[in-house]
Amino acid sequence: MTSFRVLGVGLALVWLVTAAVTGVELAGADETCNSPYIAKLIKGQEDYVYVWTLGVDGVGDGSDKLVTIDVNPKSKRYGTVVGAVSVGGRGEAHHMGLTDDRRFIWAGGLAEPKIYVFDIATDPAQPKLVRTIGDMAERTGYLGPHTYYALPGRMLVQALSNTKDKGGVTGIALYNNNGDFVTSYPMPTTNGGDGYGYDLAVNPRKNVLLTSSFTGYDNYMRPLGDVVKDPEAMKKFGNTMVAWDLKTMKPRKVFAVPGAPLEIRWSPKAGDNWAITAAALTSKLWLVKEDKGEWQAKEVGTIADPAKIPLPVDISITRDGKGLWVNTFMDGTTRYFDLSTPEAPKETYSKVTGKQVNMISQSWDGKRVYITSSLLANWDKGGADNEQFLRGFAWDGKELKQVFEVDFTKEKLGRAHHMKLGSKSLKSS
Amino acid sequence: MRRAGAAALLLWLAAAPARAHEPAGPPLSFEPPAPGTYTLQRIMAAPDGEVLDLDGRAQRLARFTHERITLLALIYTTCVDPEGCPRTLPVFDAVRRAVGDSARLRQHVRLVTLSFDPERDTPAAMRGYAGRRATPGRVPWVFLTTRSPAAVAPLLDGFGQDVRATTSRGHGAPQREISHVLKVFLLDPAGVVREIYDSTFLHPRTVLNDVETLLQER
Repeated sequence: MTSFRVLGVGLALVWLVTAAVTGVELAGADETCNSPYIAKLIKGQEDYVYVWTLGVDGVGDGSDKLVTIDVNPKSKRYGTVVGAVSVGGRGEAHHMGLTDDRRFIWAGGLAEPKIYVFDIATDPAQPKLVRTIGDMAERTGYLGPHTYYALPGRMLVQALSNTKDKGGVTGIALYNNNGDFVTSYPMPTTNGGDGYGYDLAVNPRKNVLLTSSFTGYDNYMRPLGDVVKDPEAMKKFGNTMVAWDLKTMKPRKVFAVPGAPLEIRWSPKAGDNWAITAAALTSKLWLVKEDKGEWQAKEVGTIADPAKIPLPVDISITRDGKGLWVNTFMDGTTRYFDLSTPEAPKETYSKVTGKQVNMISQSWDGKRVYITSSLLANWDKGGADNEQFLRGFAWDGKELKQVFEVDFTKEKLGRAHHMKLGSKSLKSS
Repeated sequence: MRRAGAAALLLWLAAAPARAHEPAGPPLSFEPPAPGTYTLQRIMAAPDGEVLDLDGRAQRLARFTHERITLLALIYTTCVDPEGCPRTLPVFDAVRRAVGDSARLRQHVRLVTLSFDPERDTPAAMRGYAGRRATPGRVPWVFLTTRSPAAVAPLLDGFGQDVRATTSRGHGAPQREISHVLKVFLLDPAGVVREIYDSTFLHPRTVLNDVETLLQER
């Protein structure tokens, strides 16, 4: 192999300057929590929030749909629905992800192996369903595509389950941006691995991919009340995170992280090389950080009272890596943690933002926060507690103030779940 | 600040051929896996279409994407984003030098720089951009453009390269601007894309390891 000489001083200086200018950083706050490979982050005022919405029998057309909400305060249609694209069926719509060029949203349902591709560039106000990828089960045996994570020209798709026994052992599928299947990577079942999957997130500076673990179809499609009363079912939740070599896509280390670690957020701050996650069942925050040349996972904080099973679901990290929003589903509370010392997160603010709250997204500057209500069709609350909404909030660093609400039941849309931000400026030329 | 950084990088790039022995970029913050210890997936077939060489002669792109391992950059010559097109030149310089120094590698590799801005990047403009890099060497480096935006469009579509042209209307004359995400493609001798580098992974060490990995498939 060829070896390279030591970097010239002048060259190094140029790189220092350019690195400082361009800020080689992980894209992280929802605008901060996207794949670092996604271009065109919206760093000003977003125009739209796209909401991937679960269809409800008897509500509107009953189908899963991508709903577009106008969120620009200067717009005459601020805080209203400006578009909805139905996929013509119901498959437990859950998460979605942007392609690296931000022209398309990939979205899927946990009850089926289908992936829907929406064009958001031709007309950002009116996304169009342009492709349905239906070969994941046939190609991989995986069921329930969950996380869609952009790599250059490709999409990693983390599944939650499998078609064979509908348990939690699953894997990652890799597609190119045309929607052609490339290959798959099973979650590790040796060296401590439980084979489960949930989220994935990349730190390209360190060539590391982190994955987390949830549960399989048999549990997530079953009413939550039944699951928690069934000791055998409760054993079938993920208790691991895995650090992978991104380049080789081989597992490097399995961490014991009990209680279903879910969303993974790398600090977006340049120079930071740590990630944080929340374990849903144990209500704990975990830090993944390199220490003495090896990646380690460490419990660093508690969210609310774990005995009451508040069920922390989504988290959103600020762009400077110093703050973390945490939504706890059961008590409908949105909490803010000071992450200045990531080894010791401290809750500094909380507010009940709904009777049930799930996903939380923030603008690049952190001044606007969006919250939706639905966790899973069979896990959402019933009766009057089954609020379904997108709520927009203003955050001044001290107080969350609600500035608009879209009632998804009143609008006959369904259950509001995952969000991505959109902008008129990203319209294709 | 951003302009200052871009200017500094461009100044350095202008002199890049003179110090092509230097590594192109900061040290990697990770140790890349050894060649042959991993698989480069077959991501997609590279597209084909008509291109123009530096003499303005029409050629098929496939002529430059088959038979050898090909490192192909899609660029436009007036790009000033330090994390964009200018990144490709020093990396390609370093790869060319390292491959050229290896009798085992040099017969298997070529470099291609293809413009997606044919209105400004004529064959003559590409010749000026290429400078001494277009001089035949131990490792071919081919500079290409196309006749028109219509000619390059299917190539961009085939590579999945998003390019947006906009016109800014400030106080002066309207300025045409292009925005894109830097993508550099590694193709195997069959013309199949095996790796796509963005600015994060575009480093001579990763590229050379991948070239070695492809060679070990033979």
